[in-house]
Amino acid sequence: MQINNLEAILEDEGIVFLTYGGLLTQSLISGMTDALEKESKVNEMSMKVSHNLLTIFIELSQNMMNYSKNSSLQDSGLNSKGLIIVGYDKSNDSYFILSRNILDAKDKEKIIPKIEQVLPLNNDELKTLYRELRRSGRGKHEKGAGLGFVEVARRCDKIEYSFSKINDSCYYYIFKAIINNS
Amino acid sequence: MKNLTLESTKYTPDIKLDADTGIISMVGKSYPENTFEFYQPVMDWIEEYFANYAKNKTTVNMEIIYFNSSSSKLFFDFFDVLDEAKENHNIKINWIYDKENESALEAGEDFIEDFENLAINLVGKD
Repeated sequence: MQINNLEAILEDEGIVFLTYGGLLTQSLISGMTDALEKESKVNEMSMKVSHNLLTIFIELSQNMMNYSKNSSLQDSGLNSKGLIIVGYDKSNDSYFILSRNILDAKDKEKIIPKIEQVLPLNNDELKTLYRELRRSGRGKHEKGAGLGFVEVARRCDKIEYSFSKINDSCYYYIFKAIINNS
Repeated sequence: MKNLTLESTKYTPDIKLDADTGIISMVGKSYPENTFEFYQPVMDWIEEYFANYAKNKTTVNMEIIYFNSSSSKLFFDFFDVLDEAKENHNIKINWIYDKENESALEAGEDFIEDFENLAINLVGKD
C-alpha cells in the first residue's frame, strides 16, 4: 500500500502534526493554524515554542499562497503543488515547519538575497533589521518587503533552504525552519 | 462620530473604536490575507477621530495574541498615527499580553523602543 509508504516516510522525519499538499487559501490556513494550536496544547508545548511555530507556519503558508498567484506559474499548470509539513524531530528535540512550492526564475532570484540577508545575523542584528524594515514609511506595504523572513529567522533556531530545477523556468523551492524545544 | 466595531474572526481581532468613551481596543489574532485592506477602515477612523473628535483622554488597549508580518507593519503604522497625535492629545496605550506569552511581550517591547515618546504600558495578564 502506497499510503503505508507515505506514513513510513513521515515517521522517519519524526512525529508529523500536519501535512498538506495542494492549493492554499486563507480559510485553509486558518483552519490548519487552529489545528496546530490544539496540537500544541495536546503536546504541552511551551507558549513560546507554540507561538513561534504558529507564527512561522502562518508566514510560510501565506507566502506560498501569494506566490501561487503568480501568473507565469498559473500558465504552466504547476501552481497547485504546494506542500507544507509541521512536525517534531525526536533525534534532536526540535520542531520543524517545511514548505515546498514552485517558483519561477524571477521569484527565485528575488527570494535568495532576502534569505541570505538574514542567515548570518544573530538575534540582536535580526531585531535591528526587523525594526529598520518595519519603519520603512507609512503605507508602504508591497508584498514581500522581506519583513517575513526576518520574522521567521527571529523565531527559529535554524533555517535550511534549497532549490531544485523542474524546467528552464520553474524550480521547487524548499524552506525549512527548525525550532529547538529547549 | 460613528463608532466602529468589527467582530473577531479566526484570523482578525475583535476591534472596538469608541469615540464616545475614547477607548480604542483590538483583541485577538491578526493574520488576514490582505492586511492593509482589512485595516483601512480602522486607520481612516483613527485619523478622523484625532482630527475632529478626540476626547480629553484616549485609551488604546492592544491585546494581540499572535500576528503575521504584514500586521506587524500595520500596527507600526497605527502607532505612528498615535505618535503624531500625541502632540495635541492625551493618549495612554496598554499593550496587554499573557505572562506566559514571551513573544507578545517582546513585540510590545519592540514598539516601546520604536516609539520612545508614546506612553506604552506593558500589562501582563495571568
